[in-house]
Amino acid sequence: MSTDFVKASEQGRVVLEARNLVRDFRTNKRAGAFGREQFRAVDDVSLELRAGQVTALVGQSGSGKSTVGRLLAQLMPLTSGELLLNGERVSATRGRAFIRYTGTVQMTLQDPFSSLNPLHRVSYTLGRALRIHGGPMSADEVEERSLALLRKVELAPAEHYLHRFPHELSGGERQRISFARALAAEPKVLLADEPVSMLDVTIRKGMLDLLDQLRRTEELAVLYITHDLGSARAYSAQTLVMYHGKVVERGSSEQVIDSPAHEYTQRLLAAAPNPRRRLAG
Amino acid sequence: MNLSRLVPASGKVRAGLIIAIFFVLLAAFGPLLTSYSPQASGTELLQPPSGTHWLGTTQTGQDVFAQFVYGARVSLGVGLVAGIISQIVSVLVGVIGGYFRGLSDDLLYILTAVFLVVPGMPLLIVLTGYLPSRGMVSVAFVIAITSWAGSARVLRAQTMSLRRREFVEAARATGESRTRIVFSEIMPNALPLIASGFLFSVIGAVLAEAGLSFLGLGSLTTTSWGSMLYFAQSAQAFLYGAWWWFVPPGLAIAVLGAGLALINFGIDEYSNPRLRTGKSRGRATRTSGPHAAALSTAGAAAAASGVDAPGTAPVLHEDGVGEVAGTEPSEGAAAAAQLRPIDVAGEPIIEVRNLKVDYPGIDRVVHAVDDVSITLHRGEILGLAGESGSGKSTLTNAITRLLRNPAQVTGGSITYHRTRARPGGSRGTDPGSAESIDLLGLSTEELRGYRWDEIAIVFQSAMNALNAVTSVGAQFDDVLRVHRPTMPAREREALARTMLEKVGIDSDRVSSYPHELSGGMKQRVAIAIALVLEPDVIIMDEPTTALDLLIQREVLDQVMALRDEYGFAIIFTTHDLSLLLEVSDSIAVMQRGRLVEYGPALEVYAEPRHPYTQALLASLADMGALV
Amino acid sequence: MKYLLRKVMLYVFIAWAALTMNFLIPRLMPGDPVALLVERLSGRIDPAAMDAIAESYGLTDAPLHVQYWDYLTSLAAGDLGLSIGFFPVPVSEIVLGALPWTIGLVGITTVISFLIGTGLGVVLAWRRGSRTDHLLPALTFLNAVPYFWMALILVLILSVNLGWFPVSHAYEPGLVPGWDWEFISSVLYHGILPAITIILASFAGWVLSMRNMTVTVLGEDYVTMAEAKGLPKRMVLVNYAARNAILPSVTGFALSLGAVVGGSMLTEVIFNYPGVGYTLFEAVQNQDFPLMQGLFLIISLAVIAANLVADVVYVFLDPRTRQEG
Repeated sequence: MSTDFVKASEQGRVVLEARNLVRDFRTNKRAGAFGREQFRAVDDVSLELRAGQVTALVGQSGSGKSTVGRLLAQLMPLTSGELLLNGERVSATRGRAFIRYTGTVQMTLQDPFSSLNPLHRVSYTLGRALRIHGGPMSADEVEERSLALLRKVELAPAEHYLHRFPHELSGGERQRISFARALAAEPKVLLADEPVSMLDVTIRKGMLDLLDQLRRTEELAVLYITHDLGSARAYSAQTLVMYHGKVVERGSSEQVIDSPAHEYTQRLLAAAPNPRRRLAG
Repeated sequence: MNLSRLVPASGKVRAGLIIAIFFVLLAAFGPLLTSYSPQASGTELLQPPSGTHWLGTTQTGQDVFAQFVYGARVSLGVGLVAGIISQIVSVLVGVIGGYFRGLSDDLLYILTAVFLVVPGMPLLIVLTGYLPSRGMVSVAFVIAITSWAGSARVLRAQTMSLRRREFVEAARATGESRTRIVFSEIMPNALPLIASGFLFSVIGAVLAEAGLSFLGLGSLTTTSWGSMLYFAQSAQAFLYGAWWWFVPPGLAIAVLGAGLALINFGIDEYSNPRLRTGKSRGRATRTSGPHAAALSTAGAAAAASGVDAPGTAPVLHEDGVGEVAGTEPSEGAAAAAQLRPIDVAGEPIIEVRNLKVDYPGIDRVVHAVDDVSITLHRGEILGLAGESGSGKSTLTNAITRLLRNPAQVTGGSITYHRTRARPGGSRGTDPGSAESIDLLGLSTEELRGYRWDEIAIVFQSAMNALNAVTSVGAQFDDVLRVHRPTMPAREREALARTMLEKVGIDSDRVSSYPHELSGGMKQRVAIAIALVLEPDVIIMDEPTTALDLLIQREVLDQVMALRDEYGFAIIFTTHDLSLLLEVSDSIAVMQRGRLVEYGPALEVYAEPRHPYTQALLASLADMGALV
Repeated sequence: MKYLLRKVMLYVFIAWAALTMNFLIPRLMPGDPVALLVERLSGRIDPAAMDAIAESYGLTDAPLHVQYWDYLTSLAAGDLGLSIGFFPVPVSEIVLGALPWTIGLVGITTVISFLIGTGLGVVLAWRRGSRTDHLLPALTFLNAVPYFWMALILVLILSVNLGWFPVSHAYEPGLVPGWDWEFISSVLYHGILPAITIILASFAGWVLSMRNMTVTVLGEDYVTMAEAKGLPKRMVLVNYAARNAILPSVTGFALSLGAVVGGSMLTEVIFNYPGVGYTLFEAVQNQDFPLMQGLFLIISLAVIAANLVADVVYVFLDPRTRQEG
């Protein structure tokens, strides 16, 4: 069981650190003559991602958890706060610096059906990622490395998947292609935004097992963004709970989920479907 | 719906292409067919078509056929040149504005709005009125200036929606540059729109040129279809009944325009690879509807040609859940269904017996529901579990008679037992007297009376199930007006208010519109609407899946309380087995159209017998769910 | 209402842009057509007219912004200059004389064809997959027919061959316009054929777009729910499907007004119908630039106003636009 690995994992080196992240969005509501009302989606969030360790960021929709992921990926600028990659401050939301940053920090998105361009074959998607981060390489080399990536995400036989279009693949297979694309950069940090929430229950486990395995073999620092406390407990060492843009509780996953301190976490846990409730009642 | 529309579409496309090719050939080679010069006048004036003059002659004895084929060159040429220029402008304005946003987009947007609203033809007339020399190229250019805006607007909207798509964000996260994202992620997806925009600009330009020339504003020394009509009009050809003079050019414009529009119908088909490799798989993994069933039943190995048997790979990469269970994934070897007697106090209300629903596919029939028998009792909560493609929605749609084409019930029966008298109902029965109704045999009209009165539905996403343009009250009201025709308006409104309060919503919300409510409130409104006629059965199709955990809990508690108050039976569909185990009296688990396990919830939970149920529970436990 | 306010501001801006375009076009066109015209006309027309032309084009040596200011102030006073073709009649007088004819003919026919087209579109959408689908290619063809050619054909058949309708003019020549039955009936009789041609040439577009929108909407959950509620078909179709599908059509209505007006102008030319389109045609033929510009301005403003009306209607149809904030 994966929980054993989590327990065995040592406190790894901090790869990516976020300090006091704040992100405001303009709303459509006007404030005053020219301004717009601001909405604080992320409010003073700090976290550390360690090599070889999964950190879960748990929250309901609108809690700001996905925005934290995008801020860590530098897909959008911070309103305030700072990001430290290997201890050095980084700020690169565009240009070459951003591309260099994506060489270390990669992100995968929630919806396996729309996160791959429907018009591009798998080979194109992976090939682009390889060329962006691996520099110029021959077509043969791209193919070889693409196949290696597909094997890494356990899509076998790899040759079969290389020339497929996304619509020819199942949801689980597409999510694996997304992982493969992220791995093409040989990143140190993987930000996985709800990787299994759109998948059927029976294939979720396989997907999370893969994530767990990649964490170990690639020494990846993984941020597992989810709304599901149960899987956070099963697959991550650390858990942070977000509510209205703030981290309301953090700690080791066992501690947070088995003995929640914050009232919101307690309510979440109490609200989870629980067949035992009937046996007890 | 999509598929049935595409089949005749390809016929239309073929017709359109034939028309377009015909005119291109006519323009290219037509002049070789005639020995007359389009301008040369002759001695035979205003003659009807004959062997020497195929389309007759004009008032000055010019050969109409020669004019027609030379005119085709000019009209098509102007159309193409104007179409290309206008499309380049609209792509630049639309795609760039839509992707980069900011100030430049605002300015481009306003510019587009100006050119969109200011009427093109008068502007065109004024502009050409001032043109010192009216060559065809300058006319084409002026046409392009006045016609790019419509297409730019559509492209901008499309680009803005594409840039929000996850694949664009994923490409950014991969490190793709902006230009590359615009040109190889967004543009290819906007290609159908660009192509159809181009076709429409060509049609528009051909029409505009004809209109201008007809007004005498084109180049009158050049023969075009428009200038032919100009001379025909000024010679009052129609008063002489010289149809051969003015019918061909106008007809050609209309036929060409129709042809290009027909091609447009099929552009999607050619540009979207989803439609390239077999249509039935197009939406297979996306919906929990029939197509998904197609995928599951066919099995990954068969559907994606060339997949090796999954058994050889020690990995779990297919949606086929058999692998997780450790059972043989191939078809036909599934373990026998595990059925246990249901022990519920109420009388049966819905009995489904050996129901079969098929979807005729392209090369095989898919059994979306295959020999399923279940019984719903009064007051029972029947949990229907299954993953996408298991057939659970097809089953409930069969019960509610909401199956869409091409689904067909090919066997079995659904019986509804109606007993109680309906207060204020239009067709009361004696209390206590049972009446068995063959649901599948009801006529549309009979069905209408029984819908909502007996069986109501709560849809998965209230966001989509409530009508956005009418108030909450109106959506209660139409049900009551139809089913309780004698109820006065004030009572109807009072009832709507009461129902809202029952689900914990302020009764003044009766005048709110759906967009003014939060997601949880909308779902409550949907439940309140379902309850308004006090039906005996409510079908809840993933009623809480779209909701957050805390709201899901509140809504569930509410449903349970209402069930205790009203005593309706529920068929509760969801993929969330732990939720079902908690709330339902009995559970039916479906897989690939078949019922694999059916029995009292507690027994299924304590002792799952079918390998699939066991696998589901095991993976829930592995995922840390509370089971 | 902020939605509407934003729209009004946009249209005010567009109107200003149209005014400015009107000002700039003669000054920016290559080859200085005005100077050419003045040169060509000098000696042939009344010297007073010459001065009027020169003045209305600011052929004074005043700087551009001064000319622009003069242009705007005289516009504000309703002064569009003097016509060359009908010198010295003020352009505004001619425009006002032509406007009622066009608003009467084009305005009414546009509304009628929108209503017919939209209604038919809903019906065709509901009956999709049945034989009515065979109407689609015919409608596509009809949609591509040029307005003026449609007019020519109908004149040939209905007037020249069958003699049912007059060939041209808005009323019997020789009648004195007035509010008497003889005149009004003559206007109605003369208006039928132009009206039919405009409706025939324009309704197919509405049918096609409304059908497509309704087919899309019919797949939505709220339509399924309306069906599940046991509502009669008509109610489902009208209150749920059509009610939602019409929203894009209303926007489309506004945007295609320009095209309809443009097309109808040509129809006027064929029927010698004394509206704005026919007048514009005459102005162009006479190279009556002041009149051309005045007409263009009036047509633009009318279309802008119609757009605004469509947007107001839209606000009534879609509660989401009424949201505050």
